[in-house]
Amino acid sequence: MSTTTTPAQDDALDPGGAGGVPPEEARADRPERSRPPRRWQSAAAWTMLAPNLVLLGVFLVVPLGWAIVMSFQAKRSFGPGRWNGLENLGRLLGDDVFWRALLNTAIFTAVCVPVAVAAGLGLALLMNKALPGRGVFRTVVYLPIVVSTLVTSLIGLLLFDETVGIINGVLRDLGLGQVAWQTDGVLAMTSVIIMTLWTRIGFAMIIYLAALQDLDPQLVEAAELDGASRFNVVRHIVVPTLRPTTFFLVVINMIWSFQVFDIVFVMTNGGPGYDTTMLVTYAYDEGFGPARNFGYGATVGVVLFVITTVIVVFQVRRNARREEA
Amino acid sequence: MSKPVRFGVCLVVFAIFVLPLFAMVVVAFTPRASLFDGGASLWPSSWTLDNFRTAFDNYPVARWFGNALLVATLTTILSVVVNLLAGYALAKMRFRGRSVVFVVILSTLVVPTQAVMIPQFELVARMGLIGFFWAVVLPSASTALGVFLARQFFVSFPDELIDAARVDGCGPLTAFRRIVLPNTRPLVAVMVLLAFMTQWNDFLWPLITLRDPDLYTLPVALRFLQGAYDADYGGIMAVALLSSLPLLILFVLLQRYFVAGLTRSGLRS
Amino acid sequence: MPIALGRRSVLSAAALGATAAFSGCAGLTERVSSTSRGGRDRVTLQVYGTDTETRIYQRLADRFSEQNKVTVDVTVVPFSDFATGVDAGLLSGTAPDVFRVDYPTMGLYAGTEQLLDITDALDELVSDTRSAFMDAVSTGDRYYGVPQHVDTSALVYRPDLLREAGITAVPDRPEDAWSWEEFGEVADKLRDAAPAGRSAFGVNWQAAGAFRWLNWVFQAGGNMYNEDLSAAIIDDDAGRRALDFTTSFFDNGWVPATTSTKSATYPDALFTSGTLSMLFAGNFLIPAFAETIADRFEYAVTYLPRDQRRASELGGNAIVANRDAGNPELATELMVFLASREAMAEFCSEAVLLPTRDSLIEQGLDFALRPDLMPVYTDMITTIEDRDVADVTTPTFAEVNVDLANELEQSFLSGRSTDDTLATLADQVTASAYLNEGSA
Repeated sequence: MSTTTTPAQDDALDPGGAGGVPPEEARADRPERSRPPRRWQSAAAWTMLAPNLVLLGVFLVVPLGWAIVMSFQAKRSFGPGRWNGLENLGRLLGDDVFWRALLNTAIFTAVCVPVAVAAGLGLALLMNKALPGRGVFRTVVYLPIVVSTLVTSLIGLLLFDETVGIINGVLRDLGLGQVAWQTDGVLAMTSVIIMTLWTRIGFAMIIYLAALQDLDPQLVEAAELDGASRFNVVRHIVVPTLRPTTFFLVVINMIWSFQVFDIVFVMTNGGPGYDTTMLVTYAYDEGFGPARNFGYGATVGVVLFVITTVIVVFQVRRNARREEA
Repeated sequence: MSKPVRFGVCLVVFAIFVLPLFAMVVVAFTPRASLFDGGASLWPSSWTLDNFRTAFDNYPVARWFGNALLVATLTTILSVVVNLLAGYALAKMRFRGRSVVFVVILSTLVVPTQAVMIPQFELVARMGLIGFFWAVVLPSASTALGVFLARQFFVSFPDELIDAARVDGCGPLTAFRRIVLPNTRPLVAVMVLLAFMTQWNDFLWPLITLRDPDLYTLPVALRFLQGAYDADYGGIMAVALLSSLPLLILFVLLQRYFVAGLTRSGLRS
Repeated sequence: MPIALGRRSVLSAAALGATAAFSGCAGLTERVSSTSRGGRDRVTLQVYGTDTETRIYQRLADRFSEQNKVTVDVTVVPFSDFATGVDAGLLSGTAPDVFRVDYPTMGLYAGTEQLLDITDALDELVSDTRSAFMDAVSTGDRYYGVPQHVDTSALVYRPDLLREAGITAVPDRPEDAWSWEEFGEVADKLRDAAPAGRSAFGVNWQAAGAFRWLNWVFQAGGNMYNEDLSAAIIDDDAGRRALDFTTSFFDNGWVPATTSTKSATYPDALFTSGTLSMLFAGNFLIPAFAETIADRFEYAVTYLPRDQRRASELGGNAIVANRDAGNPELATELMVFLASREAMAEFCSEAVLLPTRDSLIEQGLDFALRPDLMPVYTDMITTIEDRDVADVTTPTFAEVNVDLANELEQSFLSGRSTDDTLATLADQVTASAYLNEGSA
């Protein structure tokens, strides 16, 4: 590609930019002999995109459209759907369990996201400087990332099992009482959050450590020479510099939190009662549980999609505004 | 913070983060009898390999490993191929609708698989894919993240090289094959690691589609074992440990590439 | 170096993939069998169950294939979520020909016309089986399966711990079964006598067993549905009495809090580990107890407590066939064979399950393990009334069962009032009751 079009190309790829068609002038500038015919290039491009687009279309876009259709139908696993308009949505809005699941998901997100991001930053700052055994420390914090959520959840069960679990065993040996990790709603949520954080902090730390390499050391040194305290350096120099990274981590952690499933499914199955029921576990129970209520399960799924989209768009907008300011 | 203090804090962090893995290892080697007699502990009075032996005797553990390897490998190959091609087209070729396509692909990042799992399941069932690994492989191959990584890489790929090939009379596809592909190894390494790790650990979709124990991948098999073993954590932890070992070892050996992959997946978005 | 790594991993990945693709085609080019359909001389059978049960299935299948010169492919799947596999098979036309199914799930399949109507082949079986059991496999006046066996609960207890607590007399005749009040006194004594960490008893209403809570409702003289199954009547006096009483298990500290309806683990592990004095347990657990408890302590069984009446639940499994079975005649023959006198006797006596044929019940089976415990179970089965069966075999019962687990736990653990729980439950059950139309 000729150098003249590079800036235009990058603009075109900006989702908020002026649109995708490269400026027509660019073609006029181009020496004809060094270029294959434009139609040819276009055909080649679509050929290269085709496998990807076909898979995406068949396995994601079609099901998404279908989910939306299903959410307006009374549909069980067998037999055709019957249109029932907004009945599913009506049931959803009047469904205490849905609201409970939404609240739980919100609480889960509100705790997990800030703690994961803050702890990731703290550990990154802690382990950014030279330290004996630093490599080992880092590795141990990263390791949970490659452990599957299923294994994480099973370890969670092993730790928090009320009767034979390790934590209660240790507490018993210390002469302290049993803790109701599985039968008290708040404690059950706590156990789920702890295991989730175990896998997420390492990821935040990796990303922050990489970002810290881009931090201008002279800036920090200058501030320290000026007598700024370590805390103030972090607050006024490090944190603002890391803002794009933080933004990314907040968004990705929010998406993950809204889609939490495995850990809850295995550790608490949504219980006790509905105290740890999340949107996705609820959608799963409705759609794939014994009821196989596809229509209603799809409705919960579509609502989850809408909520996720709204949050991401809101975050991206807010971030864009802040960067402009 | 002074160095000793920081070191102390690091030790505490180390202990906290290593505890769950430590517990898994210990319990995997704890005799069943002592688990039932007073619960799990962090240092059993005796050690045993029985948990591994009984797991292999009673369940097709080796087969599950083979399945996991096969599914992750197939997904990885397919995923790298389709995402690499798409990323290149989006970065280096000019055609009408390019940015729309890119935005559409990126925005699929927001669609939770869980939101579409019900129709996806009916679709896959009606296509007759249930009972085949393809039910897992095909829907997981095309990922927004993969396309994104590939595109970011190719955007900074020097145009001069491609143009030179064209001057020599290569078409765009030939140019891609001869000039670009041989230079994508760092990208491919990252894509392979991420795709493999994701598929190796994926649970919900395989749970829904792989309904036969002979087809189970490791996470689904673990869920099955959880039901089969109930409170007998020894057997579960033995298989959990085995299923985690390949990636844990790979991670310790190739930490730099994993870190590079994860950072690249995040930093520039 | 990334470059070297990239090439190596790609090459080795490709090599692995190729090896795998050529060495075994199962799952890649060949469907794996639990979701496959048979053909003219081949019938597929999907079962779940304990090792003992699956072993007998295999043996019976071998005998059938020998007698009929056909092939029977048996696939064993885990009970958890087995039905979703069948769902997928039914959706894609590849379900197994014949499969084992629990009664509530069967209601869903039969109600949506997924199963083979085998009414015409069952004359002999019907003449030898109580109507309550045949009702469990019927929709309208057609039969869609054979009731291979039933299970029910009784109260397993440890005589040693009861003696320690000063309880000397345990009912040994059905008419002497403890009343709820007497049962409560026993539980009080056990709780007071027990050291920390041991509870009086545990109830087997976890997960898919939530419907066993209905035993208390039946005992109080109530039911889940009205006569024509069109609405819930669970929020009546009987329902209130049952829920009040069962909630008091938790409030009085009789049961461990970890044994509520949504608990991830079953209480039988607590009983075998010695932390429960009594356990409500199904007869199908007897083989497991024989292995895990062995001779560590003594255990015996007595009748469930009674209130207005005696009652127990209909558990167990049916054998059904897929409507699109490769060879419907062969599938029907296999089902009739599995429900034959000989096969049923063999299956039930070895796996310690209760037969459904009157002739076998009267004759009494030679149970492989702890035959001394079985008379109590055999008696408990006779307390099941037709209407109790109708309650748990509606096309919607599988989801009602989930509602039960969820809602009961609100009362058991979260302190919600009995009235609120029953009102919510009744709403949920009535909301889906329209799907029961025509199955009454």
